Amino acid sequence: MIVSGIDIGSLSSETVILKDGEIMSYSIVPTGADTQRAVSACMQEALERAGLKFEDLSATVATGYGRIGVPFATKTVTEITCHARGAHRLLPSTRTVIDMGGQDSKVISIDPEGRVLDFVMNDKCAAGTGRFLEVMAGALEVDLVEMGERSARAKNGIVISSMCTVFAESEVISLIAGGCSKNDIIRGLHEAISKRIFTMAGKLRMERPITMTGGVAKNRGIVDALRRLLKSEIHVPEEPQIVGALGAALSA
Amino acid sequence: MVPKLIRGLLRSGFAMELAKGGARWSYRRENRAFGLWLHFLFDNMKKGFRKERPVAWISAFTPSEIPYVFDLHPFLPEVVACLAAHVGVSEHAISAAEQSLYSTDLCSFYRCGAGLALGGYLPKPDLIISTSHLCDGAHRFFHNMSQLFGCDHYLIDVPYGNDGRGRTYLTDELHDLGDFIGKRTGHHLDGERAAGVLELSNRTRQVMLEINELRRRAPSPFSGSEAMSYVLGMNFSTLGSQLGLAFFRALHGVIQGRVNRVEGVIEEEKYRLLWLHHIKPYYPNTIFDILGGLGAVVSFEEANHIYWEPMDPKHPLEGLASKILSNFGCGPIEHRIEAILEMAGKYRVNGAIHFSHWGCRQSCGGSHMIRDVMRERGIPTLVLDGDGADIRNYSEGQTRTRLEAFIEMLG
Repeated sequence: MIVSGIDIGSLSSETVILKDGEIMSYSIVPTGADTQRAVSACMQEALERAGLKFEDLSATVATGYGRIGVPFATKTVTEITCHARGAHRLLPSTRTVIDMGGQDSKVISIDPEGRVLDFVMNDKCAAGTGRFLEVMAGALEVDLVEMGERSARAKNGIVISSMCTVFAESEVISLIAGGCSKNDIIRGLHEAISKRIFTMAGKLRMERPITMTGGVAKNRGIVDALRRLLKSEIHVPEEPQIVGALGAALSA
Repeated sequence: MVPKLIRGLLRSGFAMELAKGGARWSYRRENRAFGLWLHFLFDNMKKGFRKERPVAWISAFTPSEIPYVFDLHPFLPEVVACLAAHVGVSEHAISAAEQSLYSTDLCSFYRCGAGLALGGYLPKPDLIISTSHLCDGAHRFFHNMSQLFGCDHYLIDVPYGNDGRGRTYLTDELHDLGDFIGKRTGHHLDGERAAGVLELSNRTRQVMLEINELRRRAPSPFSGSEAMSYVLGMNFSTLGSQLGLAFFRALHGVIQGRVNRVEGVIEEEKYRLLWLHHIKPYYPNTIFDILGGLGAVVSFEEANHIYWEPMDPKHPLEGLASKILSNFGCGPIEHRIEAILEMAGKYRVNGAIHFSHWGCRQSCGGSHMIRDVMRERGIPTLVLDGDGADIRNYSEGQTRTRLEAFIEMLG
C-alpha cells in the first residue's frame, strides 16, 4: 500500500511517501504566503521523486498548522501525535521528543509504542522557534544554515536577556554596534532559546532517550546547547524536518 | 453617540422591563432557566441604576446570601465582565482601562470591569464587599473601585485554615461586617430575614445537588460551557433569593427532560471531560465546538461543585463563615486535588482540561501538580493556558492543536 503524509507548517511544508511502511521519497518546500501552492508543490515533488502519480496513493494524512487546508487529505492528525509516531519509527526507544518548528516548540512524552503520554507547547510568543532564529539571522546578516557552525566557533559567552523576538532583535543590533562578534552573539542566542526549551521540558517528566525533530534540529548550535543543559545525548534523525510528515504517513 | 445610547438604555427602567419581559417570554418553553437568567440580568441592572435598595458590589466569592441577608441589592462586576466578553465588548472596556493606566498584569476580567465602570456602564455602588480567598486580584480591584466611586470597601479576610479558630475569626468578622453595613445603609442584621435567606439558600443547594446528580448520566445532558456561563452567574449572584431557587428548579426541569429523552449535548459522546478552574474563555471562541466535533463533551466543571454543607438558619453568620471556609480552594492544594479527584470519579471522566487563565494565579499555580496527580490516576489532563476575557490573547490555531492533540491522546 502506498500512502503519504503531508505536514504544512508555517515556514516549510513536507511530504513523505511510504510504500508498505518504507520511505519511498520525501520533499521539503517553503510554505510561503500561498499555502495551496505549497501543498501542491511538495506533493508533486515527492510523487515525481517516487515515480508515482497522485492516483497511486491510497491515503494522505495531513498535519501541521495548515492541515485543514489540504483538500485531498483523507484525514488530519495533529503534529504532536505525528512527531511522536515519526520519532518512534526512527528511534523506537525514544521516550521524549523535542520538536522545534517554525512557529512553535513542543516537548512530547511518549510511551514504548510511540503513543503520546503528555506534551507541553510554547505559549503564543515566537521565542524558541524557527521564526525567532530566522529574524535573528536577518539582524546578523548571516545565513540561517551557517548559524550552527558559527556558534561552535564562539569564543566568549554572551547572555541574551530578551526573549521577545522584537526586543531580542534590538538587543542583537546593540551588541553588534558594541563590537561583539557575530559568533558569540549567535551562541548567546542558542543558549537563550535552549534555556526556554529546557524550562518547558521541566514541566514534563522527561525520560530518555530524547529525539529532536523539526527544522531547528538541523542547527548544531541549538542541539549542543540543549545537550549541555539537559545533560543528555539528543538523537537527531538524518532529516529531522520530515518527521512530522513521516508520522502523518504512518497514521494513514 | 453609541456609548451614550447604551448608557441610556442600561439606565432606562422601561427598556430593562421590556427586555426582561421579552426574555422570559422567548425562553418560556425552550429553556425556562435561560429566560429567568435574562430576567434576573435586566432586573439586576434596572434596580441597580434605580437604587431601589442600597447597591452592594460584591466579589464572585463573596456569598450572595450576605447582601440578601442585609436587604441590599447585589451587583457582581466580575459576572458583568464575563457577559461583556460574551457580547464582544470586553476588548473596548479593557482598552479603556489600560488607557487609564490599569496594568496589563491585572486580570483581564478586572480590567474589563474597570473599563465598564469608568465608562459609566455600571450602577454606582453604595458599598463594596469582597473576600480575600481564591482571587488575589479581587481586593485590589474592589479597593480601587471604592476610590473611584467614593464609597467604603469591606474586605473579608478569610483565614487559611478551616478549623475552630478560623471559623471563630471569620464569624467575628462577619459580625463586624454587619456593623459596617448597618452604619452605611441603616440595614441591620434581622434574624428572621437572615433565617429566611439561609433557608432559601439551603433549598437551592439541594436542587443544585440534584442537578449535579443528573449530570452524572451518559450521554451528558448539559453542556459544561453553559454551566460555566449563565448557570455559574446565577450560582454567584442569587443563592439566598427566591429567583435563585426558581432558576435552579427550572434548570433541573430542563436537564431532567433531557435525561428522560436520553438527549446528550453532542450526537455521539466518546469522551467525558472535567473542566478545571472556575472560568472558561467568555469571548466568542470555538473551544467547545472543537471538542464537540471530536466527540468530547465537558460533562462537569469544578466551578459548580457543591462544596459546602447546609447552613444553620438560626446561626446565619456562623453558617456563612463555614460556607466560605469549606471552599476547597482555601488552604493547601491537597484540598483542591481531593475535590477534583472526587469529581473525576463521580462524573466518570476520560480526561480533564485545566484552563489556566492568565489572571488567576491561585489556580494556575497548582495546575501542574494537579496534572501530575491526575496522570498518576490514569486521567490525562491538559493544561490549557489562556485568557478568559481578553480575546487579544486567543489564537484559534494554537488552541485547536492543543485540544486535538489532547483528544488524540485519549483515543
